Amino acid sequence: MNTDHIGIRSVKGAGYTLLLLLESLGYVTHIWKRRRAIFTQMHVIGTQSLAIACFFMLLVGMVFALQTGIEFARFGQTSLIGLVIVSAMVRELGPWMTAFVLIARVGSSMAAEIGTMKTAEEIDALEVMSINPVSFVVMPRVIGYAIMGPILTIFGTLVGVGGGMLVAYAQLGVRPDDFLRFAERGAEPLDIYWGLLKSLVFSLCAAAVACSNGMRTTGGAVGVGRASRNTVVIALTLTVFLNYLLTSFYRMVKRLVAGLV
Amino acid sequence: MSGAIQPAEPQALTLNTPMVEFAGVSKTLAGRKILDKLEFSVKRGETFVIIGYSGTGKSVSLRNLVGLMRPDEGSIRVAGEEITTMTPRELEVMRRKFGVLFQSGALIAWLNLFDNVELPLLEHTKMSRKKRAEIVQQKLELVNLWQDREKFPAEISGGMKKRAGLARAIALDPEIVLYDEPCSGLDPVIAHEIDKLIIRLRDDMKMTQIVVTHDMESAYSIADRIGMFYHGRMIQIGTADEIRNSNLEEVRHFVSGGREGAVSVRSQAAIEKGRSPTFSARVEAGNEQAESEAVVLEPVSEPAPPKLEPENTP
Repeated sequence: MNTDHIGIRSVKGAGYTLLLLLESLGYVTHIWKRRRAIFTQMHVIGTQSLAIACFFMLLVGMVFALQTGIEFARFGQTSLIGLVIVSAMVRELGPWMTAFVLIARVGSSMAAEIGTMKTAEEIDALEVMSINPVSFVVMPRVIGYAIMGPILTIFGTLVGVGGGMLVAYAQLGVRPDDFLRFAERGAEPLDIYWGLLKSLVFSLCAAAVACSNGMRTTGGAVGVGRASRNTVVIALTLTVFLNYLLTSFYRMVKRLVAGLV
Repeated sequence: MSGAIQPAEPQALTLNTPMVEFAGVSKTLAGRKILDKLEFSVKRGETFVIIGYSGTGKSVSLRNLVGLMRPDEGSIRVAGEEITTMTPRELEVMRRKFGVLFQSGALIAWLNLFDNVELPLLEHTKMSRKKRAEIVQQKLELVNLWQDREKFPAEISGGMKKRAGLARAIALDPEIVLYDEPCSGLDPVIAHEIDKLIIRLRDDMKMTQIVVTHDMESAYSIADRIGMFYHGRMIQIGTADEIRNSNLEEVRHFVSGGREGAVSVRSQAAIEKGRSPTFSARVEAGNEQAESEAVVLEPVSEPAPPKLEPENTP
């Protein structure tokens, strides 16, 4: 039984997670050898999550357009709705909400899958076969997640903007060309890159948390459930926290750049 | 650093060098002493069976042997090489001497049986695809699973998983094969099949094998020597006949399924408090004459019903 204080356990867990992430990134040299596993993970994480991520983002875009549209309509500024929706989608909602969908759908099952492998002695079996579990199990998942997270974010953001545009036209009478006229200002290239970078960071973080919880699973089915639950809670919290940090940093950089210019 | 453990000098490898040698190995887990100065050795080409009650450290000794755990003290030598001080890289190389059959088979869930058996070949050899396929076929035919090669672990029974696990364990023709309860949860017919395989691997392929089991029928039929594990120590090592006719209370109690002998309550209480049991055993590693060891056992005045840990607490 682990008798450490919860604070000590948390610090140990965070340290293990960070080291596991670094170790798995150290095995990128095995990418060619593990290509089959990586493609499988890309399929599970990306292709199989595409429909739910798009559906989710469509509704987010629609609700967001409705709520902001009501306020803009009061001031007769409905044409600005495109600017607001596109900037919010590209900078925040796209990376963020896609990360949420992936954590719920992929992160939890990833932790459960690795946790089951751990309790079924599969991880031990790999070790005694001199097959490094980080290279065999963790790295393909981290790489698959890191590739598919940003790709899903692109799809999600586009669908979200489409949903917003649909509602703006159908319920607020904003024509698509008006919607898009201001939209360009909402998403400069730097905003798009930054949004994708955020998505990459969230993906790496969620994959590392899921794999780390899976690899530390003890205690059979109860342990697997715990690993899955902890993954969702920790990854969501970290995503929100990292998002705040990255956004603050981005604004600071932008201000600095503007000052220099 | 003055307190650092110095790697032991490599032992000169001779024909008489024990393949596996435990010397004074202790391990404490969660405050409980699981291995207590464990001493035993296994000769090259021998099938050594470890018997003993659940929770007495049999599986832990196997985990220490393959470096999945490190002992708190003592020495473990494999073919003369000290493994307790090996670096992770050295351990990786050393582990290639081993094939391990885990209790559940431990097959990789997302690979079919063919891919599972092929995995060690794919990872550690530069064989052509054709050569790999030949070896996989040979191993799967040995365990009578070639026709099921396309199936995934979730689609097959427990016995088939164990047989497939065995095929994978011997894919690289290891020098030593370890079995963690190979017959548990199997029907008698399949269990007998596994026993026959173990005997065949010893006789035909001259593999050194260590088998942890509860099943006495199986132990008697496969073992060259049997060691009785009791709370972290080997209390007796001997041939099947010597174990069958043992004078030790604990051994008689175990091998008769509780119908004879008794487990010392005093021993049990002492163990729970983390002290050594009331008996001591001396095992001379590699000494062929030391088949049946002299064991000093304190008399048990009132044989009480055994108070053993249940195997599975609901």
